[in-house]
Amino acid sequence: MSTAPVLEVQGLVKHFPILGGLLQRRVGEVRAVDGVSFSIARGETLGLVGESGCGKSTIGKVVLKLIEPTAGRILLGGEDVSSLKPGAMWAHRRRIQTIFQDPYSALNPRLPSGTLVGEPLENFGLARGAELGERVAKLFERVGLRPDAMRKFAHEFSGGQRQRLGIAKALSVNPDLIVADEPVSALDVSVQAQVLNLLIDLQEEYGLAYLFISHDLAVMRHISHRIAVMYLGRIVELTTKRALFEGHLHPYTEALLSAATAPDPARRKRRRRIVQGDVPSPAKPPPGCHFHTRCPYAIAECRTLAPPLIEVAPGHHVACHRRPVGGGPHPLSTTV
Amino acid sequence: MSVDAVPVLQVRDLRTYFNTLDGVVRAVDGVTFDVGRGETLGIVGESGCGKSVTALSILRLIPPETGRIVGGSIRFDGRELVGLDEAEMKSLRGHRISMIFQEPMTSLNPVLTVGTQIAENVVRHLGVSWRQGLDRAREMLELVRIADAARRLDEYPHQLSGGMRQRVMIAIALSCEPRVLIADEPTTALDVTIQAQILDLMLELKEKLGTAIVLITHDLGVIAETAERVVVMYAGRKVEEASVSSLFAQPMHPYTRGLMRAIPRLDIEADTAGRRPRLQEIPGLVPILTRPIPGCAFADRCGFATDRCRAERPPSVEVRPGHEVACWETARVAEAA
Ligand SMILES: Nc1ncnc2c1ncn2[C@@H]1O[C@H](COP(=O)(O)OP(=O)(O)OP(=O)(O)O)[C@@H](O)[C@H]1O
Ligand SMILES: Nc1ncnc2c1ncn2[C@@H]1O[C@H](COP(=O)(O)OP(=O)(O)OP(=O)(O)O)[C@@H](O)[C@H]1O
Ligand code: SF4
Ligand SMILES: [Mg+2]
Ligand SMILES: [Mg+2]
Repeated sequence: MSTAPVLEVQGLVKHFPILGGLLQRRVGEVRAVDGVSFSIARGETLGLVGESGCGKSTIGKVVLKLIEPTAGRILLGGEDVSSLKPGAMWAHRRRIQTIFQDPYSALNPRLPSGTLVGEPLENFGLARGAELGERVAKLFERVGLRPDAMRKFAHEFSGGQRQRLGIAKALSVNPDLIVADEPVSALDVSVQAQVLNLLIDLQEEYGLAYLFISHDLAVMRHISHRIAVMYLGRIVELTTKRALFEGHLHPYTEALLSAATAPDPARRKRRRRIVQGDVPSPAKPPPGCHFHTRCPYAIAECRTLAPPLIEVAPGHHVACHRRPVGGGPHPLSTTV
Repeated sequence: MSVDAVPVLQVRDLRTYFNTLDGVVRAVDGVTFDVGRGETLGIVGESGCGKSVTALSILRLIPPETGRIVGGSIRFDGRELVGLDEAEMKSLRGHRISMIFQEPMTSLNPVLTVGTQIAENVVRHLGVSWRQGLDRAREMLELVRIADAARRLDEYPHQLSGGMRQRVMIAIALSCEPRVLIADEPTTALDVTIQAQILDLMLELKEKLGTAIVLITHDLGVIAETAERVVVMYAGRKVEEASVSSLFAQPMHPYTRGLMRAIPRLDIEADTAGRRPRLQEIPGLVPILTRPIPGCAFADRCGFATDRCRAERPPSVEVRPGHEVACWETARVAEAA
């Protein structure tokens, strides 16, 4: 079996044109994704976390080949698929599936749920007729839905059940990777747990890899193996879950963790460092480090030079001019 | 009782129902709580449990075409609001009781400048001149820490970021120094770093102005970090009420306990021996509110439920000082730890 990562993304850039004026000419561009690289191993969950508009969904869409990147390469199982024509891409499509935040809008309301879930199997020519029905019934059972619900329509299910339909559909073609874009954000907490448990069980059973997109750090901590923190189109820190929560090195990660709430009143006493100011527009990102306008640690260099993402310890990548160098004390360690 | 001990808001057995094609929705079905002067009371519960309808009932903003307060009492400063005529309600709203919503864009007027909107509220309620209203507007923008307040007065809502709009909403809501501010999911639409700024601001202004806050949220984390007392709602009813420390240290209602075990925790190491632990699920779904629920609304999903739970509605009983639970099986629940 190949040891190549399930997915590798190299130097990914995606700019959206901003059109303006009477003639709808290009007057600028939104730098939604601004040079992002990462990889995901078989059976691994990589969490992509960051605030609204930082480019998480755009990365998901590029990986799913729903939109074309401006630059950069996408490798599936070590094979470069960036420039494949749609016909050649077809064979690869099956390997990456997706589940969305809002299962309702993603499911055709006019088709019975059994037909919906069986769609990819049919489209890829993997099953027909009675076999298709059987496989769909098994999928229903596997995600905790009663097979006799196959006749029901999407609107007859609750939010959590609809998310299960979406999961069954994604699962149907044995993908290597599932891109899950805020899959539990629209669900009530009591139902979130059901879906998160199911996703973890399926991963362990089938060796699935997840690119898991969320703005919820607690959900991230629960489900991810590694986490990439994004800010305005760039990854600012990428490391294992443990290192991120216990030894994060980027000032933005610090700000994010410090701002997040937890159901423990005792935490009120912690020293919160609330970063001030708003997130700048990705149409006009600040020069240098994108975070410098809000960063309490910024130095002159930060305002002009974009810090590269550097591996400062095995598997721990940070993009910050004030990262620890030569084993000296880290600037954050004196303040946290 | 000293004047200070008299709650500024007393809600008693509030019932607000809606007539819909599917039948009568018992959106709020007998809810009781007090809000002390200058206190922060949190109301928490899942989507559809009646949090917003409770808030709208207090402000008497239930759409009369479909909904009605069918029972109970709401006393503000000792004065009954249920049945109060609309003219008197208008003079209270935005003045003595204010509200901010999740999505400021829906409550801000898109064609009026920020300054005009704050000044209007001040002029209407305090009867000052327009000039004084605008002065107050600038003062309020400074108070909510909007940089460059004088310039922002002349801007329109769409020119502001989400966080700034919520600051403007807070500025309007607090412009007449209300006794009670009802904040319905005020930070849910905001990013976490901005949420932290806004919550901080609300608590700081509460101290400064002595305003009581009713903070409505589905987020137990927000409650834990801001509220003093908490009301937990489920299916239109209050199932538990306690000080924030008592609630989080010893939740007593099976639903509250279930919720706390169902949420992933930011502050607790998730993996044990390299494995991700399972979250505890609450089986089943919330009940349909058009069907009368004779017993406990949680009975269908509750591991402790008995026949009595399904037949008789449990009253809210004090189990520890200041800690009330509406559950028949409190003794067994307590033992289950
Ligand atoms: N089709 C598009 N055309 C123009 N701009 C776009 C398009 N899609 C996304 N953008 C912009 O690109 C940036 C990144 O958007 P994206 O949806 O990837 O963010 P996100 O991290 O998923 O945010 P959220 O947490 O709100 O979902 C945003 O500024 C967004 O407005
Ligand atoms: N105008 C209305 N007509 C009919 N039903 C309504 C109306 N407003 C609210 N409801 C119903 O009343 C119940 C309580 O709604 P409410 O908005 O108070 O919930 P909530 O706790 O605020 O939920 P969320 O967290 O989603 O905001 C829901 O079942 C809702 O569908
Ligand atoms: S009253 Fe009964 S059903 Fe309701 S929470 Fe208590 S034990 Fe459970
Ligand atoms: Mg997104
Ligand atoms: Mg609501």
